[in-house]
Amino acid sequence: MNLDAGITGIIMGGVLSLPVLGIAVIYGMTGITNFAVGTIGVFCTFMTWHFLSQGALLGILVGLAASFGIGYVIQWFLLTPISEKGGDSTLFFIVTMCLGMVFTGFTRVLFPRPDISLLLPRMGTVSIMGVTTSGLKIFAFFFALSALGLIRLSERHTSVGKSWRATSQNLKLAKIVGINTARVFALASATGCMLAFVGAVFWAALYNVNLMSGWNLTFLGFIIAVVGGIGNIWGGMLSALVMGMVMSYSGHILGGMWQSVVLYCIVILVLIIAPRGILGSERSL
Amino acid sequence: MLKVSGLTVNYGATSALKNVDFYAYQGEIVGLAGPNGAGKTTLLETIAGFLKPREGEIHLLDRRIDGLSVLQRRMMGMVLVPQEGNVFPDMTVRENLDVGAILSHKDIRERLIDETYQLFPILHKRATQFAVTLSGGEQRMLALGIGLVSNASILLIDEPSTGLAPKMVTRLFETLDAIKESTGKTIVLSEQNIGVTEIADRVFGIEAGEIRFCENTENLDSEAVRDLYLGK
Ligand SMILES: Nc1ncnc2c1ncn2[C@@H]1O[C@H](COP(=O)(O)OP(=O)(O)OP(=O)(O)O)[C@@H](O)[C@H]1O
Ligand SMILES: [Mg+2]
Repeated sequence: MNLDAGITGIIMGGVLSLPVLGIAVIYGMTGITNFAVGTIGVFCTFMTWHFLSQGALLGILVGLAASFGIGYVIQWFLLTPISEKGGDSTLFFIVTMCLGMVFTGFTRVLFPRPDISLLLPRMGTVSIMGVTTSGLKIFAFFFALSALGLIRLSERHTSVGKSWRATSQNLKLAKIVGINTARVFALASATGCMLAFVGAVFWAALYNVNLMSGWNLTFLGFIIAVVGGIGNIWGGMLSALVMGMVMSYSGHILGGMWQSVVLYCIVILVLIIAPRGILGSERSL
Repeated sequence: MLKVSGLTVNYGATSALKNVDFYAYQGEIVGLAGPNGAGKTTLLETIAGFLKPREGEIHLLDRRIDGLSVLQRRMMGMVLVPQEGNVFPDMTVRENLDVGAILSHKDIRERLIDETYQLFPILHKRATQFAVTLSGGEQRMLALGIGLVSNASILLIDEPSTGLAPKMVTRLFETLDAIKESTGKTIVLSEQNIGVTEIADRVFGIEAGEIRFCENTENLDSEAVRDLYLGK
């Protein structure tokens, strides 16, 4: 076993787990499979890149605010009204795909560049078991872990978290007891888009992103989420790490071209054996 | 306090309520009696804001509310205890009550939950148990508890006695009566249990989506009620 590829895989998985987490939060709360999440994340990453010359912090803050705002607005004005009118999953598929196209288009219009790579501070180097890697990568990994832990903790122990869980478990009763469910939905969507943005930022800092990256992020995110059990946050994390390893090792051993073949065959296999994902879905598709 | 006039509600092409008039004064218990499929649930859910009437008006505290959202009606002090799906399954009993009282300030919330525990000691005993693992009767009590801790001034309760042991039904009715006496809440109760006539100030009989009678309980002809329950 090659340790280098292992560490690359874990970090890739960690970074990927952010959009997966975003998708899981949105789906777990609203029941909507939002295929625009990745392109929104990448659109905001281009915004960060645009403002980067004026400082990394400003760039990231702009991206965070934009992804939060976009997530909030599309849920509040578009997706929640559609679901109140009884929209089904096919309709949401089409609507969110269109949204994804809109943001791909925005990216192309506003930032006419084929691809970008974010120059973030490298944060020195860290040595693990003889393998040297950049501090930024380690930071990305632990950031993903703590984002997940934070979401789980606040779900359990804060009153906002309680109203989130209540809304996802029984929407009708949540409305009855006086929870502003439209706002909960919008906040969940905003959080999800923000997580996808952070994932995309790390991706852009470690590798690079282009116009199509948003779609890759979305599809990979969905596939990983489904393999982990969609809506199940721990399952998503575990599955992201496993997939990161699979991609890294298959790339390392068989070469980059085989990566997707191996990855998607494993996905199909897992889903034949466990159709509800490795840790089970908290909400059926 | 609550006044429904000329209410017509459709599911697709079939109408579930036809020109229904219904009212309840402050501090009253009003019973809504009728056989299965009569339209009791439909009426309560329309009042609570989950169904849009085709015709007619709903007034609460002299304000027209049929255009308002569920949340806005909640803010006006109205809470529904639904017939089904009336707890948060993957939350503990205590969390369910916390969420039920979510609009109240923390101190008031504690007091309301304590009061509910006194009414249903079994809920206190099961405080850390997940709602989904409660027995059917216990879930009913929790559902009622969620309604009570909401501190609403008007409670719409859809068939609270279903699935409860006869002894519990008697206790439940006594409890509701006591709540009314002590708090002055208005309680609208749909029921198939004849015992409702003991506590209600007025009973509306509904059948096939139409109000068949409306009588104060003193001069209620129990034959008529029996007929309605048996569906003739
Ligand atoms: N979602 C729906 N779509 C179509 N018809 C419905 C729907 N819900 C209820 N109905 C019909 O409306 C009528 C009234 O139903 P409702 O649930 O209000 O009766 P109910 O008096 O509450 O009965 P029960 O005592 O069985 O709870 C019934 O004939 C029922 O079949
Ligand atoms: Mg009913």
